Formats: sequence, C-alpha cells, structure tokens
Amino acid sequence: MQFKRGFKLALALSLTTVALTSCSTAKLNGFGYPKGVSSTSNTSLSLWQGAWITAGVVGVFTLILILWPVVFHRRKKGDTTSYGKQTRYNLPAEVAYTVIPFLIVAVLFYYTARDESRITKVDSVATAPHNIHVNAMQWSWQFTYDDAAAKPTVTGTPGQPPVLVLPLGEKVLYTLTASDVDHGFWIPAFMMQMEALPGVTNHLEFAATKLGTFPGRCNILCGRDHSLMLFSVKVVTPTEYQNYISSLKAA
Amino acid sequence: MTTYAERVQAPASSSQRLQPTPKGRLFVKWITSTDHKTIGYLYLITSFMWFLVAGVLALLLRAELARPGLQFLSNEQYNQIFTMHGTIMLLMFATPLFVGFANVIMPLQIGAADVAFPRLNMLSYWLYLFGGLMAFGGFLSPGGAASFGWTAYAPLANSQYSPGIGGDLWVIGLAIGGLGTILGGVNFITTIFTMRAPGMTMFRMSIFSWNVLLTSILVLLAFPPLAAAFLGLEADRIFGSHIFDPANGGAMLWQHLFWFFGHPEVYILALPFFGIATEILPVFSRKPVFGYKGLVAATIGIAALSVSVWAHHMFASGQVLLPFFSFMTFLIGVPTGVKFFNWIGTMWGGSVSFETPMLFVLGFLITFLFGGLTGIILASPPLDFAVSASYFVVAHFHYVLFGTVVFAMFGGFYFWWPKMTGHMLNERLGKIHFWTLFFGFHMTFLIQHWLGIKGMPRRYADYLASDGFTTMNTISTIGSFLLALSMIPFLVNVWISRKSPKVTVDDPWGYGASLEWATSCPPPRHNFTSMPRIRSERPAFDLHHPHMAHTDLEGGH
Repeated sequence: MQFKRGFKLALALSLTTVALTSCSTAKLNGFGYPKGVSSTSNTSLSLWQGAWITAGVVGVFTLILILWPVVFHRRKKGDTTSYGKQTRYNLPAEVAYTVIPFLIVAVLFYYTARDESRITKVDSVATAPHNIHVNAMQWSWQFTYDDAAAKPTVTGTPGQPPVLVLPLGEKVLYTLTASDVDHGFWIPAFMMQMEALPGVTNHLEFAATKLGTFPGRCNILCGRDHSLMLFSVKVVTPTEYQNYISSLKAA
Repeated sequence: MTTYAERVQAPASSSQRLQPTPKGRLFVKWITSTDHKTIGYLYLITSFMWFLVAGVLALLLRAELARPGLQFLSNEQYNQIFTMHGTIMLLMFATPLFVGFANVIMPLQIGAADVAFPRLNMLSYWLYLFGGLMAFGGFLSPGGAASFGWTAYAPLANSQYSPGIGGDLWVIGLAIGGLGTILGGVNFITTIFTMRAPGMTMFRMSIFSWNVLLTSILVLLAFPPLAAAFLGLEADRIFGSHIFDPANGGAMLWQHLFWFFGHPEVYILALPFFGIATEILPVFSRKPVFGYKGLVAATIGIAALSVSVWAHHMFASGQVLLPFFSFMTFLIGVPTGVKFFNWIGTMWGGSVSFETPMLFVLGFLITFLFGGLTGIILASPPLDFAVSASYFVVAHFHYVLFGTVVFAMFGGFYFWWPKMTGHMLNERLGKIHFWTLFFGFHMTFLIQHWLGIKGMPRRYADYLASDGFTTMNTISTIGSFLLALSMIPFLVNVWISRKSPKVTVDDPWGYGASLEWATSCPPPRHNFTSMPRIRSERPAFDLHHPHMAHTDLEGGH
C-alpha cells in the first residue's frame, strides 16, 4: 500500500519535528541571534530555533514532494498521448494531510503561548526593581529614569541619538508613550520590541544579561526622518548604573 | 456516439473580418464596451502598466539602499516613493489584476454570455482608472505624493503631521478605486450565482471560478470598512473632525480598521492566483485536480479564517489578545497546507510537461512555500517581537505576494494568451523570462530575511556603514535589477506574438479542463456558439477526450 508508506513517513517526520522542538536546543546556533543577551531572547531563542527546525523539516519535505513528480513523472520526449491514472480523490491521504499540519501548529502554538506569557508578564510600576519611562517623538527618544528620586531625563535628537543605560542582570520595567505619532521601540539583539503609541501607555519588562552596546531603532514609520530615530543601549554593571544615575542627577 | 452538440468548425471570429477596424473606431469601441472580455483586457493592461510603474519606483528604492548614505533621494522623497510603491502594487496592480482575470475568464468558465451587470462593470473600471490616477497624481502636487506608508497609520496620516494635497488625493483616490472594487465584487458574486450554464452546478465549477466567488465575498467584507476608514481620515484631514484623534484611542482604532481590511486583502490577492495555479497544473499534468472538494473546502476555510487574524499585524502594539490571534493565524497554515498537497497530488503520477505556464506555477509553489513557512514563524508573537516591522517582514510578504501574484499572473498570461488574443506566446522567450525572473526575485528577497534578523527596519531611507547591512543591501539591489531585466523578454514576446500564427483550435494546450477551452480563441462576442454537456468539473476535457470522460452521473469517484 503506497499510501500507508507515505502516511508512516509523514507521521515519523512530524514526530521527529515535535521531538526536535521540545528537546534542548542549547547546543544549536542562534539562527542569526546572539545568545544570552536579554531575558527575552533567553526565552524566545529556543522557540526561534525550534520553529526554524520545524519549518526546515516541513519545507524540505514539501519541496521534495513538489520536485518528485517534476523529476520522476515528467513526460518522456516524443510522448504526446499518455495519461496518468486519473485519480480524483484519496480520502485517507486527504485526512492525513489535514490532520498532520494541525498537529504541527498545535505544538507550535503550545510553546508560543507558554513563552509569550513569560515575555509579556510585567510587574506593577510600584513593585518593579527599576522603572524607565521611554517617550518617543518625531524623531528621537526621551529616557526618564523613574527609579531615581529626581527622575533624570536624557533627550536625544536625530543628529545625536540618545543612549539608554541599563543595569546588567536586573529587570527594568519600561513605560512606553509617544508625544505625536506611532513609533516602535525595537532592540533587535534583545529579540524585543513594542510600539510607543500616542494616547496609549504600554509596558514591557526585561533584563539585559550581557555587557556591551547594542543598537536600538524606531521601526514604525513616523514621518520624514524615521530612519534617523536611532538610539543605543549600553549595558553596564549595577554599580556603574547607579553612578550613571547619580551623574545625571548632578547634571 | 456523440449525443451533444459538437462544433464542426470554428465560428465566425475576428479573423474572418474583411476590413481592419480603423484605430479611432477601435478605441471608441473599447472605451464604450460592455463586453466582459474587453473590460477584462482593459483591467489587465492598466494593472500591468501600474506594475511597471511601481516596479520602477522599487528600483529607485533599491538603488538608494545599495550603499549607506543618501545617494540621490531625500528622506521625504524616499518615503513618498515607498508609499506609492506599496499602494500601487497592492491596490492599483494586484487587486485590479484579479478583477481583470476574473472578468476575462470566469464568465467563460461558468458558461455565461457576460457578467450580470455589464455597464456596472465598465463603471467599476473607470472608478479604478481615475481613482488610481488621482492617488498617483499626488506626485505633481507641490508637496509631492503621500508619504505616510500604504498603511496610512493615524495620526501620522492626519493633516497636522502630513499636510499637503498629495495625502488628500491619495485618500480620496483610493476610496474611489475601492468603490470600483466593491462593485466588481458584487458583479462577480451575482454572475456566479445566477448565470451558470445548464449543468454547471457549484461543485462542477472550476477552482478559479470558486476562488473568484470567495475573493469577491472577501472584497465585500474588507473594502467597505476601508472606505469608511478613508472617509473618516479625510474628514479629520479637511473638516477637522476627531475620528482618529489619539486622545480618543484613534491610533488603535485606525490600526484595527486598516488591518480588518488589510489582512483579508492579502487573501483577496492570493486566492484568485491560487486559482490560476490550480487551472494550470492539471492541464500540464494531464490529470484532474486532486481532491477537488477538499480544495474548495480549504479555500472556504482560508476565506473564513482570514477575517479573524487581522491583529497579527498588531502583535507589537501591546493592545491585542495575543493567544487568540496567534492561534487563528497558525490555523490558516492548515488549509494552506492542504492546498499544497492538492497541487502536489495533481502532479503526482501524471504526465508532467514544462511549458512556460507550468514553469511559472512551479516557481509560484516554491516561492510561496518559503513565504508560508516564514509566515508560520511570524504567527508566533515571541518571534514576531524579534523581527516585526523589519526586513524579515518585507522579505516574507514579498515571498507571499510576489510569489503568488506575479508568478501566477505570468503563468496565467502565458496560459490564456491564446484564449485572449488568438496567438501563442513564444516558448523560448517565455523560458528566458521565467528563469531571469526566478533568480532575480530570489536574489533580491532571500537575503532580506537576514537583513531583518540583523536589525534593519523596514521603511528606512538610509543606514549606517557601521550597521553591517551594506553587503546584503548591495546584493539585494543587484538582484532587483536582474528582476527588472526579466520584463524585457516578456515585452518582446508580447510584441512579436502579434505575428505568430493564428490559433485555430479551441484548446491549443490539448488537455484543457474548464469550459473556456470549449470555445474559439478568442471567443465570440457572447462567448459560446454551442455549449457542451457539463457532467463533471472538466467539461472541455470530457468533450475533447470522450474516451477518458468521467461524469458525476456515472457515480463513484
């Protein structure tokens, strides 16, 4: 039974996929992302790896199925009259190719839901260890360090993008607002972004977990100088962070 | 023992006309026509012109991005150009291209003499033409064309942040063009429900006609909210109303209204072109469509799900219910997967040959497969947070939309050219066209996935040399010029096809399935001089290959 063989093959492949998705992916490369940079990317990276492996297996499997008849069922030269078997339906195969994709997306959704609830979980402003208010405007950023008594503010310009200084390994609650139009607060290496919208207050919480400087960019079109709405993220030790806040207060 | 009316010779057609029609009279005949085929040709020609215009705009964008630093455009000009590139490609090229193919082919496939409302059909075309010219005319205004992106997010698109008549022309032009699309949808639905030939039951209708029906229903669901949003935006712009005032939640209201249109729009663009692919595959595999009813069910499933996933464009807004929209989006992968297996099943065990239409369909399958898989990645909010609004998304939707619309469009052109013009397109030029297009496309867009992962946002006029985007952008730009070059063999092909021999048979491909292959090339004014018996979903195949005929009446699949 040709069909049964196909079914078994498909089942084996999908189970492998599921197994690969759930097993430890620590040894894999980051598929384009650096590892251990932020609490978000620590959560998302394994999903990213698993999703790509699944997509890769499904993609290669489907590609082979597409190319198989292209190579093996092609019409011979000079053959003008042959027909294949005029198959119109094969119910078991149809059920299989409906149910198996459903199982694959169900597994992906399980991990998605689990990780997304971790990523979007935020403390209240009162209990968060650090509070930074990010205000977006045409075409730069304003960072207010709310956890210091004086609430020092750093304001950038399109010509002089501001620096967001973060304490290593400590969670920060971001309050995102916008003064004029829609903006997007995106730190690519952290695998994290959220829109900063006028009339809306958004919250986001994560910790930076690696020392260094990372680019940040506005990624929602906000007018003429959208492409100049840059910032950089500088991750420092908690002590240096405290010193930085104090120096801001003094200034 | 033919008991049905078989045509013995080609009916009177334009080839038998003794005198050529003077050009002026031909022009008047075209612009006053109510023939669905002529109106369809007007749609196809106009939308293809817009495709070339928006393609040139895309080349300007790619040339600007080839190296860091501004080369020859200002930020504002860059914004105007990508706004008009997106607007034209989606609303003035791809959507009316669907109306064009549907107009020409669908009435033939269901055995109708015309569409239900022929004059409304012509009105739709004029609304589309002048609406489009109006939106594009913004380039002639003092402040230039609209520059707020084809998504026109409020409040950026209001008169405070985007003053200038270019924005008003854009909003009202698209509202007018949208009305044309809505009327087209009404026309197609009525035609399919009321004008099918005797014997053409719903479940004997070709997949393309099914997809036209479902697309038209989606048009009626999606375009009225868009029209409402546009009129509200314009009221804000010129009358100072506060419909999209951020103080009243206007920023999110716009996003919801826009994407409630915007996501079904993706399927309005995709479904008809899936339909074209489904018409071509069986002919060059010499087999019936595999799993016809399942394929119809999958299309209905996609259409239904497509109105419940709009907020996946807004995952990063922080204001939508992530698990619901994520799950619905994942679910769309299931009927889409079903379609893939239907297409594979159609080829499987067939007698597969690779004429140009078939090559384009294979190009579509491979390209759309990759676009679909990155769609599954983006359906997951944690992953969307990593790459949303980056070049990863730009790459994804070009794989989906170019893969579907452009590959299937050219497939459809090569496939139906003899039906539309009475002449075949040249196979050699067709193959050169396909391979240049295929390599040009993948060279342009594959690398953009990495650009997105590395952090390049969409809609950026410029980037820094230190960003590390330069090499990838240069490769993409070179690819885009290769892609543009692929239009040359096509245009040459169209030009020389005028002189190619007349097609004298109803079905030059030999194994056509649906009813358009049971009438002459091109068909007479009212399409059919006689109607074959329709006893399965392949009436033309049954007619031309009676010994292979399968009829539903014989029972059993």
